[in-house]
Amino acid sequence: MTETDNRIPLDWDALEVGETFEKFEYTLTQRMIDEYRRGVMDPEAAFPTISHKVDVRQYNARYTDSGSVNARCAFHCYNSPVPGKKLTVTAWIADKYLRRGKNYIVTEAVSVDEDGRLIDRVITHELKQPSEVGKKWGG
Amino acid sequence: MGRLERGYAEGDPVGPLVKEITQEAINLFEGSAGQSGPSQFTDEAAARETLGTSGTVASGRMSVSFALELLRRHFGSQVFNHTGTVDLRFIRPVRPGDTITFTGEVTGTSREANGLKVSVKIEAQNQRGDVTGVGSGSAVVPNAYLPQEE
Repeated sequence: MTETDNRIPLDWDALEVGETFEKFEYTLTQRMIDEYRRGVMDPEAAFPTISHKVDVRQYNARYTDSGSVNARCAFHCYNSPVPGKKLTVTAWIADKYLRRGKNYIVTEAVSVDEDGRLIDRVITHELKQPSEVGKKWGG
Repeated sequence: MGRLERGYAEGDPVGPLVKEITQEAINLFEGSAGQSGPSQFTDEAAARETLGTSGTVASGRMSVSFALELLRRHFGSQVFNHTGTVDLRFIRPVRPGDTITFTGEVTGTSREANGLKVSVKIEAQNQRGDVTGVGSGSAVVPNAYLPQEE
């Protein structure tokens, strides 16, 4: 059976700053935390939520584009997530800008756990012409 | 890491923190969120197609994770995990086989309602001395964690 892709092709000019996506929920498991800590080689790493890329997840669920490269990322720590707790993420388009002829989209997301504890905030600037960086980086 | 009680001053060095990047580490990072499909981070063909690079690259979020560790080690987890921030711009790719050194320096302090805000500049360099990321971070250190004034 073929899955239907109902995503909207990105129209950068039409994209509205402030557009807020449907809330996204997931449960952070101990296994996720352990794998993340091994990946970053830090047994005390407290915010495995960063690898979940929750700020762009809902954007990618709504829009289709030619891919992206992370140009800048900010992360704010409030409380370490607890394994087994459900996290609710609210994400939105925080900004967009054109720089040196290239389009960028800024997404922002806040995660809160099932007890109402604020977990973290992540803000990401994505370049929407990813093939440009390959040229810049020399392959 | 437990409670650290210390003073902070402009020019204080932070770090260094050294990380050796492997494809296995990148795969673990990506897989920890259940992302199992090929991507520019895990698959050379996907990297070529999407980025035009000859091989995979590490997610910028891995570098953010390392910067978080750099500052958490400096401020202590009881402070940094509640008030810490990192803001990194990615200048060059980090690839499997790279050794990345993160360093920082305190750039200033300011009194806030809930403690002393300490600002830090952050830089990441690969084994060739190329800068891969630059940015800043901060933490608000509660007064209870600062040396008592005479």
